[in-house]
Amino acid sequence: MAKTLTKDQVNISELIDRPWITIVWDDPVNLMTYVTHVFIKLFGFSKERAHELMMQVHDEGRAVVSTGTREEMERDVQRLHEHGLWATLQRDDKI
Amino acid sequence: MSSFEKVGDGFSLDLTLDEANILINLVEQLLELLGEGDFFHHYDSSDPLAQLLAMPSEIVTPDDPVLLRLLPNAYADPEAASDFRRYTEPQLRGAKQKNLRLVREELTILVDENHGGVIEELNADVWLKALNDLRIALSVRLEIDETSFDKFEMLPDEDPQKPVYAVYFWLGWLQENLLGLLL
Repeated sequence: MAKTLTKDQVNISELIDRPWITIVWDDPVNLMTYVTHVFIKLFGFSKERAHELMMQVHDEGRAVVSTGTREEMERDVQRLHEHGLWATLQRDDKI
Repeated sequence: MSSFEKVGDGFSLDLTLDEANILINLVEQLLELLGEGDFFHHYDSSDPLAQLLAMPSEIVTPDDPVLLRLLPNAYADPEAASDFRRYTEPQLRGAKQKNLRLVREELTILVDENHGGVIEELNADVWLKALNDLRIALSVRLEIDETSFDKFEMLPDEDPQKPVYAVYFWLGWLQENLLGLLL
């Protein structure tokens, strides 16, 4: 007969394991071409995808540029900061 | 007008002596603000383990708005931001200093010989990042926003801020010029 976990052994929020996200914020200094260049260089995006994300930052004030573990997002934020982009990481608030 | 050029697989930059002097001055000012080679000048650790590992027990969030923009918080939460800063800020600061020092080295040749000229085989990636950090630094001091270019054009020539704006927009032009060769 199959065993099941007791209720207190199941922690739904841990099972779902919400990922972390890296957000790039708009600023009036970084050139549009530079932001596109950095996205291609750091994330390997196509020129089209990088341009699309750059425009999202520009028009909406922010864009999610990567998703993954906390450690991966910390590394991405650090690399973005090395390039002068304004980036933060947080847990994805969508479930 | 100075410009970058693609030469074979590499890049070169033709600068007048005045331009080289302006750039080297800015680079040196920013290096000074970043604390030159001393990553840990702004912390004082009494934690013996941290001292042993050359790891600051705490790095304070910079007061200077230029430094805060160049070395920004990675988290909205102050505690997480502070923890992240403790582990990563020396490396980030070091990376920015390294770019600026390389650029300074290449400019020094022109400035020391007291003439303009061409910097050959420069590292485009280093120059892009250094130019960007210089622009960020000036932008904080000038409080740059979307309206700044119009404001600059309307400033009378005798306004002491006019040349600073001019340098800021010139750096943007230079950076755009190099990006045009890369993209």
